[in-house]
Amino acid sequence: MVSTVQNTDIEQKDAEHAVVVAMTFKAVFGSDDGDDVYGAGVAFTLLQALQTVNERLLLENPSEMLLFDIILITTDRQQQQQSDRIMSSTRHHGLQIHRFCFSCEDDFTDSLLQNKVHLFLSTDKNETVQAASRGVLSALVDHQTTLCSSQQLKVVFCGDSIVQPDADINAASRQAAEVFSAQLGEMRRRFGALDSPLSIVVMTSSGGRDSCCSALRTLRTRGLSVDEAHCLAGAPRGIILSVLRPHFQLSDGLSGLQD
Amino acid sequence: MVKMSLDPVQVMSGQVKELKVAPSSNGDSRGSWEEKEEFSQDHLGLTTKPKPVTGRRARKVEGGIFFPKPENAVTIAVSSRVLFRTETEQKVFEQKGVEEYLRYQIEHENEPFAPGPAFPFVKALEAVNTRLRELYPQSEELFDIVLVTYNHAHVGIRLINTINHHNLFIERFCMTGGASPIGYLKAWHTNLYLSADADKVREALAEGIAAATMFMPEKLTEVSESQLRVAFDGDAVLFSDESERIFKAHGLDKFFEHERENEDTLLDHGPLKGFLEALGKLQKKFYAKGQRLDCPIRTFLVTARSAASSGIRALKTLRAWGLEIDEALFLAGAPKGPMLEKIRPHIYFDDQMFHVEGAAEMGTIAAHVPYGIAQKHQKVSKKNTTVAK
Repeated sequence: MVSTVQNTDIEQKDAEHAVVVAMTFKAVFGSDDGDDVYGAGVAFTLLQALQTVNERLLLENPSEMLLFDIILITTDRQQQQQSDRIMSSTRHHGLQIHRFCFSCEDDFTDSLLQNKVHLFLSTDKNETVQAASRGVLSALVDHQTTLCSSQQLKVVFCGDSIVQPDADINAASRQAAEVFSAQLGEMRRRFGALDSPLSIVVMTSSGGRDSCCSALRTLRTRGLSVDEAHCLAGAPRGIILSVLRPHFQLSDGLSGLQD
Repeated sequence: MVKMSLDPVQVMSGQVKELKVAPSSNGDSRGSWEEKEEFSQDHLGLTTKPKPVTGRRARKVEGGIFFPKPENAVTIAVSSRVLFRTETEQKVFEQKGVEEYLRYQIEHENEPFAPGPAFPFVKALEAVNTRLRELYPQSEELFDIVLVTYNHAHVGIRLINTINHHNLFIERFCMTGGASPIGYLKAWHTNLYLSADADKVREALAEGIAAATMFMPEKLTEVSESQLRVAFDGDAVLFSDESERIFKAHGLDKFFEHERENEDTLLDHGPLKGFLEALGKLQKKFYAKGQRLDCPIRTFLVTARSAASSGIRALKTLRAWGLEIDEALFLAGAPKGPMLEKIRPHIYFDDQMFHVEGAAEMGTIAAHVPYGIAQKHQKVSKKNTTVAK
């Protein structure tokens, strides 16, 4: 049973043009200290960064329709019974969550499909794998996400997976990645080279310069021009990522989700 | 005070102090990186000779080439503007702004850049790597060159095309799209950072990273293709600027007096000591294989100090640090340009801009280390070029 409730506090986004991002309750909200409202979760600054992009897009063009549309997915039965508290927490933290979606753990992927989600973000690896297997582009968020900027959304594309996609990747996943890349590329073009609230990064971990070059070319054919490129040729990713501080990493297959 | 002849120059060449090199310390640290998780997937059940399964692997094992872990390698970070000539593009940037600049770069994507001031240095590093790989096929103790630029990744394809065109062994890079490269320099365990941007160099030095600003020289002397030759100034480069402070504040006599009095006190280390140390570590790997006389790395100290007490203090300090310099040249205030012209280094480091300019005028690739007291006296010393300390 899936039910979706619109947040009447804020204006809904244009369904046709919006980029639908679903985030899990556990990603957005953290500790339950028994207070009236939930605390901030690991993806809190990520959500703020998405909002920053929306604000800046509207500042450039008040009638802009290419905007992030945020859905909060709650699968926990206990939390579902506290939907009022979720909504008051959202209000309390000033979060621009457009819709609240309540589903079971078993059918949360249905809710992603029903809501035409372009990107699914979760702290739970199993959930991202499940969503990806149904062709929904998914990314993991973790405690590192908390350190990210709320003023600029930084998205890393895993160059290796673009150059050498996972053989098992299904056509739907491939398409989902391409659709989201194109949307993101279009959004990025709304801003200049400097002072953009959206930064696109390519990182090749194992490949050398040729892999990185193909990744840059491939993303360009998808309409995505890249701001930052990091070519590691086998050097440890972790330390570079700790400087880069991306909000999430995207891969054309599941491989990028595995480390 | 400055004599134009090279008479006062004393050369101390090849201090062949015998080295104790334990068999285990020859740096043959078998690449533990191969045991890394990300590699284990295509490795399972195979011998350590990797099969060319993917493009990456094929590339890596080609000719036994692999990439070291940054902490094991001597990492040299170079910016795109010192590795290549980008004056035209720089002009577009300054005159027409960033958007036009990026458009220009993409339009000219298939035209490689010409070699820049750090290019011969990088080629020489690669020549040393070739020799090291012959002697120690499995060792990660090599030069690792990382292109670190705050350029936009829009320029990435042109930069990679250029690297391919010149057949450079650069597989690693960071294009930060305008963000400060300093954090990445640290992440890469950078041993030396070369950039055209003096502010970035200063920032790196402030973070304890050896760094220098490079300029495009008017004329280029030909340099060795088989031996890496690196020349250092002493004060405020290898050593701290404590003695230079005395000189700047109280003049040459007080400086000599100070050095005489402190002859037995070691100088403190300067910003490039660590890089000399890294070079020394690699040199020892050649010595350990009996290649001392045919070592593809040669280091030079080119200082305005004299061979008397002030020079002795410098040598004593180097010795105490366990560092050897192949040739120590004490110019006693003579201009450095003519001597450097003879040495033909791939790079010469000096903290004083007029020495850098003097060297560059005579065709030496000189890099400025904006460190210490000399930076405050920059303008004064430029006018008063006769004071060569």
